[in-house]
Amino acid sequence: MALIECTDLTKTYRLGDDVVKALDGVTLTIDAGDFVAIAGPSGSGKSTLANVIGGLDRPDSGQVMVNGMNLATAKDKQLSAYRNSNVGFVFQSFNLQVHETALENVISPLVIGGVGRKKERRLAGLAALEKVGLADRAHHKPTQLSGGQRQRVAIARALVNNPSVVIADEPTGNLDSARGVEVMEELARLNREDGITLIVITHDTGVAERATRVLTIIDGKVSERVGAR
Amino acid sequence: MRLHDQFRTGWRNLSRQKLRSGLTIFAIVVGAVSVTVMLSLVTSAKSFLTSSFQKTGEDRRIIVTPTPGLDYRDSTWANWTDGSGVKLTDEVVTKLAAIPGVRHATPLTSFGYFDSVEAGSTLLTLKNTNMVAYEPNGTITRDVAAGRQLQATDDGTGIVISTDVANNLGFRGAYDRAVGSSITLTPRKDMGDQANKKPVILTVVGVITTESAHMEVTLNSARTFMPTFEQCTGGGQNTKPTCTNQNDLDRNGYASVYLDVDSTKHVDAVMIAAQKLKVGAAAGKDEIANQEQAFTIIGAVLGGIGAIALFVAAIGVINTMVMATLERTREIGIMRAIGATKRTIRRLFTVEAGVLGFMGGVLGVAVSFGVAALLNSILNRQLADNGVTARDVISVPAGLALLVIAVTTGIGMLAGRLPARRAANLDPVEALRHE
Repeated sequence: MALIECTDLTKTYRLGDDVVKALDGVTLTIDAGDFVAIAGPSGSGKSTLANVIGGLDRPDSGQVMVNGMNLATAKDKQLSAYRNSNVGFVFQSFNLQVHETALENVISPLVIGGVGRKKERRLAGLAALEKVGLADRAHHKPTQLSGGQRQRVAIARALVNNPSVVIADEPTGNLDSARGVEVMEELARLNREDGITLIVITHDTGVAERATRVLTIIDGKVSERVGAR
Repeated sequence: MRLHDQFRTGWRNLSRQKLRSGLTIFAIVVGAVSVTVMLSLVTSAKSFLTSSFQKTGEDRRIIVTPTPGLDYRDSTWANWTDGSGVKLTDEVVTKLAAIPGVRHATPLTSFGYFDSVEAGSTLLTLKNTNMVAYEPNGTITRDVAAGRQLQATDDGTGIVISTDVANNLGFRGAYDRAVGSSITLTPRKDMGDQANKKPVILTVVGVITTESAHMEVTLNSARTFMPTFEQCTGGGQNTKPTCTNQNDLDRNGYASVYLDVDSTKHVDAVMIAAQKLKVGAAAGKDEIANQEQAFTIIGAVLGGIGAIALFVAAIGVINTMVMATLERTREIGIMRAIGATKRTIRRLFTVEAGVLGFMGGVLGVAVSFGVAALLNSILNRQLADNGVTARDVISVPAGLALLVIAVTTGIGMLAGRLPARRAANLDPVEALRHE
């Protein structure tokens, strides 16, 4: 069943005098439960595509349909609500709030969404941390955690609102290979066991090989090959 | 995002930069204190004035003088008449007393028939001293520093002096000692038969607080000291003029008449009725209004100075919040990524700026209460030294305190608007890339 339908997306950036086509007529469909890898050289438009699908950025033209809503034209409020409850982001540089504890970071989408009471939020946050094996680090600040642990906190934050899709932008980029493998295991497991749609942006072929679908983007154009699995 | 979560987040963010938030709040405190203290001084002065007028019944008083055109303050000084205008005779006093609403019509005259006053070995020249005589019927009430006010039993024996006179007679800070002491008044040589009279010895029965050098006796006392003048009429080449001896009152009439009106509501009507007699009439309540107007202008000027301080503090808030949005660009990006709307971001920063303003306002008001208490403790000593019974005259009105807190909070939120909007309109993708 189609979860996200992108039709003829374009997006251009101006870098000085150069015009960079980040998205050039991208049309694709992502089904619920898919594990999609988006690969391509840097500057090819991978992140732009992920941000557009995640409702963090808007295309110049084309449409992104999710549950009958066109993200390209949705209002800030609708788009924010979509990011808050339907999408979980995992970033290369973790993007945790450094002054908050792991638990506070994890429950921040609930606080922003105005979901639940204090106790309910806490329980949901601890459950999400438990899922990534960090329940005992709940009250540590990010600076007291290793890189791998930080990324797992970020994953817990992405999961706490039970999103339908998790978008991970180079999630292993700042980790050594062993920690990178752990984090990918974690994400793959979520896709496999919980049926969460997973979109991973990577230029690591090892990561791409785990995916069920691999989209390659070059100069804003997407081509697809079915994944190794 | 729920409101209490916004407050908690705002408070947390402010506590992260304690020094900077503290300095910003300090600037607001300075502004709030200057506005609060200055306006409190003015309102306190106003209410002190009004209450002292009410205490002495001056808000219900009309002073009638022989010639129209004098204002109230000048009328109180008109204790000497040169005979021009309407002669204020007993007949006129009776007419004035008959005006509906008038409780008492109390005539006043000067008894400035003396050159100097002596107490013990201290001699004081009575050049600029206001010497007033009236019937002590309760219309005129005085703020007493020691002893008591004038009474009917003081006829021919008692005198009331002001703190100023007491000070000059060597009773500074010991007004109780002045009460009961004898003073000697030496007659002027240049008035009627006064040169032939002996010095008058009177007993001080009270010391009162008035603005200036002042002494008062009963009207009956004044009559006994009064010089007489030879007044001749008719007379030509062959006929002798008819000469009679007239005293000062017969010749010139009273200097003024104090009307005690039963209610401030009737003052205007009594004024109109009195003016029909062609006399001058001035109301105490108009004097209050004049002075209040003067205080209002002073208040506006002082409040303006305070407002400038608050304006500068508002710039401090803008500065702090702009810095905060710059430092927290990435945080803003993260919040946007996990679902914060532009509105949420805008409100977070507005709340934060509002908290700065609120804290500044609350602390400023608290400090203002402290300043008022300090000023009162200094002023109370001064008032006591001058024999004034009033204490703690400076007070910070609760309404003003609440208003100041509301205004500083509002200023904070207003100042935070621009940075808050800037934060809200950041492109989340750009913000997330921000280092």
